[in-house]
Amino acid sequence: MSGRPSAETTVEPAERVDRLGKWSGTSVPRKEDRRLLQGQGAFADDTWQRRMGYAHFVRSPVAHARIVSIDTSKAESLDGVFATLTGQEVREITEPFFQIAPEPGGNIEEYCLATDKVRYQGDAVALVLAESRDIARDAAELVDVEYEPLPAVVDTVAAADPDAPVLHEEVGTNVVWHGVYDYGDVDWALENADHVVRIDRLHFHRFSSTPLECSAAMVNWDPGTDVVEIYSNNQMPMFASLVIGPSLGVPSNRLQFRSQDIGGAFGIKIGSYPQLAGLALLSRKAGRPVKWTEYRTDHMLSAGHGNERVFLDVEIPVMSDGTILGFKVRAFDDAGAYLHYEPLGAVIWSQVTPGCYRFKHIRVDYTETVTNKCPTVPNRGYSRLQHLWLTERIVDLVAHELGFDAVELRKQNYVQPEDYPYETPNGCVYDSGNLPKALDMALEAIDYPAWRQRQQELGKGSGKRIGIGIGTTLDSGTNNFGQARIVNPGLPFSGNGEAAYVKLDLYGEVSVNLGTTPQGQSHETTAAQVVADILGVSPDDVHVTAGFDQRHNTYVAFSGTYASQFAVTGLGAAMGAAEDLRGEIVKVASFALEAAEEDIELEEGQAFVRGESERAIPFMGIANLVYSNVAAMPPELADSVSLNCRHTYRPPFEVPDPETKRGNLTLTYASQTHACVVEVDEESGEVKILDYAVADDCGRLINPTIVDGQVHGATAHGIGAALYEALEYDEDGQLMQSSFYEYHAVTSLDVPAIKTVHVETPSPFTPNGAKGMGEGGGAPLHAVCSAIQDALDDDSPIVAHTHNPWERVYWLLNPEPGMRRGVVVESR
Amino acid sequence: MLLESVEYTRPATVEEALAALASNEGAAPLAGGQSLINVLKNRVASVALLVDITRLAELRNVDARSDGSLEIGACVTYDELDRSAEVRRGHAILADVAGRIEDQQIRNRGTIGGNCCLSDPTNNLPPLLIALGATMNIQGGAGVREVPADQFFHGYFSTAVEQGELLRSITLPALEPDAGAGYNSLTIAGDSKAIVRASAYLRGNGTIEEARVVLAVVGPRPIRHAGMEARLRGQPATAETVARASEAVGEDDDLSPPTDAHASADYRRRMAPVVARRAVSDAMAKGGDGDE
Amino acid sequence: MSDGGTAHPIKVTINGETHERTVLARTLLVHFIRDVLALKGTHIGCDTGNCGACTVIYDGRTIKSCMMLAAQADGAEIQTVEGLAENGELGPIQRAFHEHHGLQCGYCTPGLLMSATALLRDNPRPSEAEIRRGIRGNVCRCTGYVNVVKSIEAAAEEVSR
Repeated sequence: MSGRPSAETTVEPAERVDRLGKWSGTSVPRKEDRRLLQGQGAFADDTWQRRMGYAHFVRSPVAHARIVSIDTSKAESLDGVFATLTGQEVREITEPFFQIAPEPGGNIEEYCLATDKVRYQGDAVALVLAESRDIARDAAELVDVEYEPLPAVVDTVAAADPDAPVLHEEVGTNVVWHGVYDYGDVDWALENADHVVRIDRLHFHRFSSTPLECSAAMVNWDPGTDVVEIYSNNQMPMFASLVIGPSLGVPSNRLQFRSQDIGGAFGIKIGSYPQLAGLALLSRKAGRPVKWTEYRTDHMLSAGHGNERVFLDVEIPVMSDGTILGFKVRAFDDAGAYLHYEPLGAVIWSQVTPGCYRFKHIRVDYTETVTNKCPTVPNRGYSRLQHLWLTERIVDLVAHELGFDAVELRKQNYVQPEDYPYETPNGCVYDSGNLPKALDMALEAIDYPAWRQRQQELGKGSGKRIGIGIGTTLDSGTNNFGQARIVNPGLPFSGNGEAAYVKLDLYGEVSVNLGTTPQGQSHETTAAQVVADILGVSPDDVHVTAGFDQRHNTYVAFSGTYASQFAVTGLGAAMGAAEDLRGEIVKVASFALEAAEEDIELEEGQAFVRGESERAIPFMGIANLVYSNVAAMPPELADSVSLNCRHTYRPPFEVPDPETKRGNLTLTYASQTHACVVEVDEESGEVKILDYAVADDCGRLINPTIVDGQVHGATAHGIGAALYEALEYDEDGQLMQSSFYEYHAVTSLDVPAIKTVHVETPSPFTPNGAKGMGEGGGAPLHAVCSAIQDALDDDSPIVAHTHNPWERVYWLLNPEPGMRRGVVVESR
Repeated sequence: MLLESVEYTRPATVEEALAALASNEGAAPLAGGQSLINVLKNRVASVALLVDITRLAELRNVDARSDGSLEIGACVTYDELDRSAEVRRGHAILADVAGRIEDQQIRNRGTIGGNCCLSDPTNNLPPLLIALGATMNIQGGAGVREVPADQFFHGYFSTAVEQGELLRSITLPALEPDAGAGYNSLTIAGDSKAIVRASAYLRGNGTIEEARVVLAVVGPRPIRHAGMEARLRGQPATAETVARASEAVGEDDDLSPPTDAHASADYRRRMAPVVARRAVSDAMAKGGDGDE
Repeated sequence: MSDGGTAHPIKVTINGETHERTVLARTLLVHFIRDVLALKGTHIGCDTGNCGACTVIYDGRTIKSCMMLAAQADGAEIQTVEGLAENGELGPIQRAFHEHHGLQCGYCTPGLLMSATALLRDNPRPSEAEIRRGIRGNVCRCTGYVNVVKSIEAAAEEVSR
């Protein structure tokens, strides 16, 4: 089938004059490093303000309970305590948070502190403000809360049962969203396929990227200006603003978000807006700035977890030549106790509906429930990695069960290089790629034939076995927020955008402000690279403001750093602003040098006439004319330039169709292909990674070393989740991993040396040919599961979990007699 | 993360430390703090008075005696054990195990005494010290008393050291020329939390004359596995002997491993014989003239 | 509980400068460094001494400053990340991290630099395995350690020249 977009979904290739070249594409060393290497970064907990108090949240120790009473009197009478705040007070003076879900899920009434009930261990019930950290902590212990425990529900499938304990009475059910995504004709495919492979259950577990820096903020509801100043490490401040503004009754122009350095975020720090709202109220009540430090235990309990997803009754129609026609599945997503950013996850996975493959017939019956667990947030790979893991298990298990070679089967079913731009069954457009080549390169990087040989020689029964696995994945980037209408047609959201501001300052210095909130993605450096290319200066001459400051007025509603889009949206905005500025410089230079605009070049901080380098004017001269020598220019020119250029990059999107659930939901599709070799200990199930390679394709590389760094980091997160990291609740809703003692964030001894190779298929849709990347797509989960499966016996149970600590692998090696394998094949 | 209110004193001598410990029922010695400060930060237990003993020179000795035994002060750090020529010479396995405890920062502060006295069942050193036949020297108001290591560890955070006493030092007997000591841990990750640990001591040339097999994380305290030891004693020092002997672990014994965030009781019980076998094999490889 | 306890006078030398202060027994060394002395380069990442973001060099050896009371540090000589630059110029280890992209968000970096400093003082030519063991106590969530190891290898070459 041709890969050209149908009449329904069209994406215009980006028009651009390509000035990128001298600096873009080079691994320019980072501007951010100087301050960070000297410990001079400004992180959110580094702030201090006169008269400030320290805040501590009182959190529920139980998963589900009615709040019978809260008594703050003992806490308040402790010497050094300034104020307290409870849910009762909050309910009286604020509105509940805006909900994305349609009814009945949208009926959830959530405030920044729990009011009648607590719904997860860690749910905040009160705030205390005191003159020191220690006193705030001591006072929190003195807040007397009486709970009447209720039965807890901790499993998403069980929560969907009408008899399950209901978390939100105003919703009446725990099912906060349900929809069926149906493309092609999967029933026909199942009936006519040569084989049907059926998988009982696949489980994608709960884990978190756990940024090393926890949340923190200094919030001051300034009594003089009535402006709420929020210096925090929230990574999507405008989303936070949209939610907490109406709740607090504060208009957007009196909410002021700022941040400079953020110690990692990975999507988790999108979820800190409820805490910020509570801190704002506490600040107003106490008449003081409020400093909040989130400790690791608070973070594990309440900052936000990644989505857990259960896939039931997977059915896969396969032809005898290995063509996989599609699949059918019932998916249950666990959103935790409240909907923070959810249920957008219920549509976001569909950016990659067929995964890397040309599947045509797909039905996903998707249910999202609340449970008595920490609310989920868009953890690195958000909602797509869960679905991509499903598609990879599908291909891997089809190969395994039907006796196809896993490499060849993938290549056969991949979207092919000649198919791009490729329209998926639900109208998304994969912009570019070369998956077969990436797979070959990843396998070459580990010397695949040599490992196959070693595996054969080692065999089984010697105490150790070798397994080789492949994981291919997509990192869809630059969201179309119109996807929100697919979960709730009433939502007035669509498209995307990012803003940037590039100017010449008084002496002609180049300055850039961004609307993004980088947490290690090197925005200052890459923005400087593209601006330098466009203006003909060096990145060292481009000053990029560190961090985000709303007062710079360089933001749109989607501003922030999340969802693998900076290279497109952030750099697109910076490039647009730089082009605008370039135009103005050329215009002024044309006047000053008495030459035609098309004859003007910019190089080394000067504008000059092509071919006559003595006819030149430095940027300092341009700035002088516009800022301090204005009458020397003709009035029409003076009126038309300011050297202050603000640009909003708008990716080309249309509004998707909620009826058919079709539309182009993301602009770019980076891909990663991982090859993993494991050694499995036959007695204990212990897994050791012996070799690991990644082939990354994020389109045109602006800074190859920085891209590699993101690949390494995403790989480490994925390996962590695959073998070491899990967030598990017992049946009473108690989190078993509430500190780094129990939750093993991977160390230098756990993450292997990672080989990276690059495929570069530029995106035709972006201003610079780059694709957003950074989330990674969770490929280590796919690859490690695949490798472990490869090490097992042919009739072993299937690897059905994303998380495979030694104990689980032990059981795969030693299944109980009569234990179901988890997969069944029907052939005609 | 933040401690409750607590008092602190740093005595200049062991006598002063003992007096401080006796003066207050809520007093506890503070050595490296790599366990105790965590306990206090996470409010797992309360201490009224911390008696800082880290700088007491009398507790920081490593003395190789003429009879080949080794006396190690309670406040010797894991890193010091790793670097000590005397420890390497006398009991290299102690240096090796201490040198792989968690990470360098923890090894720079954590002490052998602290590792024993906090008696967390997952700790690295207790099973090893029992296997090596160590003697724990406890000092109190009445002087120093000796407790064999296999009677020292009572349960979670509970040892033979009583209120008002201090573990002063640990004595390791000389390792005989025909003896070897072994160690094996199954952990959740590199140099990390224990699923099961085992340590072993074998003596004999060709035939096993003496055997000690110690398992940890199989209950509130490390235990010697009498059943496995009995199947080793008097047997030829071969891999078959060790494999057969390890079958005794899990049969007819009182293992009561915990279920925690890192592993279930069931998995620990199943892994105990595997780790025990590996520790004994390790001992055999390092000792006498074992016939493999 | 409302009584914070006795205050202890301590004298601590940090990056060559001596400070005399009074602290409560329960104050952790890392909070003393960050809140009392306003040296914000040393960071906090966990509650249980597992992440190493708070690593400083104490009397010549790396320690996690969240696992020590400020009161214990009386008389000690401490080096933090702020003490690594030489006359405002980045030191060789810092330069190596810059050249080899050994940092992304920078939050773990101060602790890592202190561990790397101590490692190379002790072992000027470490193997990759020794480097990985040496930084086992510093969690990084951004780099996957790949370029951190490269940076320390490069620094070792530079320092041992």
